[in-house]
Amino acid sequence: MSEPLLVVDDLRTYFSTEEGIVRAVDGISFTMEPGQRLGVVGESGSGKSVTALSVMGLIEPPAGEIVTGRILFKGQNLLELDEDQMQEVRGGQIAMIFQDPMTALNPVYTIGDQLMETILLHQDVSRSEAREIAIQAIEDVQIPNASQRMMDYPHQYSGGMRQRIMIAMGLSCNPDLLIADEPTTALDVTTQAQIMDLMLQLAEDRGTAVMLITHDLGVVAGFCDDVHVMYAGGIVESGSIDDIYYNPQHPYTWGLLGSMTRLDDAQRKRLHSVRGAPPSVIDLPKGCRFRPRCDFATEICGEVLPALRDVGNPGQRAACHHAEELDLKSMTAGEETQEPAVSEGASS
Amino acid sequence: MLAYITRRLVYGLVTLLALSMIVFMLLQLSGGGPLDRLRLNPRMQPVIQQLTEQWGLDQPIWKQYVTWLSHYVRPSEFSLHNALPIIAIGAAAAATVAIGKFMKAHWKGALILVVWIVAMYVTFTNLTIKFDWGTSFQGAGDVWDLVFSRVGATFRLGFTALFLALVIGIPLGIYQAIRQYSFFDQLGTTGAFIAFSTPIFIVGVGLQLIFALYFEKWTGVKLFYVAGMNSPGYSDMTFWQKLGDTLQHLVLPAVSIALISLAGYSRFQRASMLEVLHSDYLRTAKAKGLPRSRIIIKHALRNALIPVVTLISLDIAFMIGGAIITETIFGWPGVGRLYIAAIGTVDYPVIMAIVMIIGIGIVIMNVVADILYGVMDPRVRYE
Ligand SMILES: Nc1ncnc2c1ncn2[C@@H]1O[C@H](COP(=O)(O)OP(=O)(O)OP(=O)(O)O)[C@@H](O)[C@H]1O
Ligand code: SF4
Ligand SMILES: [Mg+2]
Repeated sequence: MSEPLLVVDDLRTYFSTEEGIVRAVDGISFTMEPGQRLGVVGESGSGKSVTALSVMGLIEPPAGEIVTGRILFKGQNLLELDEDQMQEVRGGQIAMIFQDPMTALNPVYTIGDQLMETILLHQDVSRSEAREIAIQAIEDVQIPNASQRMMDYPHQYSGGMRQRIMIAMGLSCNPDLLIADEPTTALDVTTQAQIMDLMLQLAEDRGTAVMLITHDLGVVAGFCDDVHVMYAGGIVESGSIDDIYYNPQHPYTWGLLGSMTRLDDAQRKRLHSVRGAPPSVIDLPKGCRFRPRCDFATEICGEVLPALRDVGNPGQRAACHHAEELDLKSMTAGEETQEPAVSEGASS
Repeated sequence: MLAYITRRLVYGLVTLLALSMIVFMLLQLSGGGPLDRLRLNPRMQPVIQQLTEQWGLDQPIWKQYVTWLSHYVRPSEFSLHNALPIIAIGAAAAATVAIGKFMKAHWKGALILVVWIVAMYVTFTNLTIKFDWGTSFQGAGDVWDLVFSRVGATFRLGFTALFLALVIGIPLGIYQAIRQYSFFDQLGTTGAFIAFSTPIFIVGVGLQLIFALYFEKWTGVKLFYVAGMNSPGYSDMTFWQKLGDTLQHLVLPAVSIALISLAGYSRFQRASMLEVLHSDYLRTAKAKGLPRSRIIIKHALRNALIPVVTLISLDIAFMIGGAIITETIFGWPGVGRLYIAAIGTVDYPVIMAIVMIIGIGIVIMNVVADILYGVMDPRVRYE
């Protein structure tokens, strides 16, 4: 196998706030291959955005700090780069698209200006060449009259169009990795699918790997190869789409899937249907972070934080002490959950 | 846009009319009259009689108002020395608009603004216009001449102070925002609150004591004057002496006003910059890999200055009324002192004239602020 594109190793990103230390990302590790489409799902506050921002080097000191870990991008540790070197990576090799396209573009500069700015920054081209590239990029995201629309300001574009522009901007320098942080949450449902299709198609044409952050397991199922499920600053389960869907190993993933199947598609917006509320990442419970909401918790769950380990299908990993004993795929999650499958005494 | 401006000006005119009525009424109803002082002397009875008739004080209020208004708006003198430059400017303006149609909106706005300023300059250097604003009750002569003899002094002080406040206050606010919660930021915040809560007369008198009085006492060097706009022998000085003399008079009063208003500007600029720094589009700019300096200068500054422009426009509008307290402390012959003196002697024509030019200034500067807003922010549409 070739060299992985991105290796994140025991990343911990904390914020110091008035209430205390927020452990937004607390020891996550994963690998991305070139061209891979990786989905990252989890409830609000689970640390998805902070993970992405850490990779981009956009965690703002002094409040935020990457306390430990390594982020190897094409073999180079991004955390050891100085600001100048990091600027070349940002936008050039790793691009990022944000959630709200309405506010993501600077209102006082034209679309063309903002697109060309990125191109001129990362590519050794003249202004007129940059203009050509920008027009091409706008055409690629299927906005008609590209050369005309270069001169328009963001407020003259609709939300969906602006997100297309953000995609054009992100891909204009042919990055190796595109991080899309809930790129379609702010858009209406019909636009969502179009934009998602477009983005992934363009990324595939360019061989760009995509990290897709979302609340929506359905979206992940439609567009990704692999998925990480995040919970309270950690990855609780990861594997291929099929593994996660048909053979979930972690009770949280199982709960998410249950909440998904119980609701019809239109309602399935946010993954809030798992019983209870996510813990505050300031006062994390000892042991397994999911324990307060878990139907299968035992004594050991309150003592030892389960590590992410190989379990289930080959390549699948989960962070649960009881993953092997639970036969989650044969149960249906929901309010009417019967007796926990693991009894009190059955700790390992 | 022209329709919008016209409409705004018409509204402005209505506002001014209402303002003039209210102020005129209040002056009449305020109790005291311009002749009250004469009444103390019994032998003045015939003079009082005569002046009452001459100034129309025995007329009903509405009639006095109509008389005043009809004079106020009617030019008593009008001549345009040379119309050619004005026609040329008009043609240039038309050309600008035509060219602007093919250019980006903000270029268009900036060009129109430049042409407008040049047109104003040429027009006013060619124009002699005078309105019949009446005669001062204090015997200080024609009100138009009286007021405009003071406007120059007031503008000299006001614009110098504004210049200082902007040149220091805006970069200060920006720097504080960039280094939020740093020692420098805290220092700036504390300083601004102290300056803001100190009455201007304390600042003024304090500066006089330290930099004029004690400084001269200790060093024997006369650095600043505490009163007036120029020394008596001014007209015989060389250019450099004139400049020095002017600055020696100007610095202290200008600094006293600037200190307080720069506190305001730095706070305002800091807040507006902070808002921009936390905006999504700034995060986008960072994610593009732009260097920090470009992010601040290109993406943040332009947006953070937009609200400040409005504040500056209104500040200029209020400047016309003069800085009453500062002008009084520093014996500055500006509109503010004239104003306060006129109020003290219930000099209706002077009071009305000054109130109205402040009002006119506010109306005009509001429109200017709106136009500038549109120039700086493409989202603004004039409807
Ligand atoms: N700048 C910051 N200062 C303090 N706390 C922060 C900051 N940014 C994020 N956090 C905290 O870190 C935790 C994780 O946030 P993050 O934005 O990564 O969540 P998320 O999974 O992206 O959620 P969402 O789905 O709502 O976007 C949250 O508890 C959040 O409050
Ligand atoms: S470790 Fe225990 S508490 Fe955590 S998910 Fe597994 S069973 Fe539930
Ligand atoms: Mg997020």
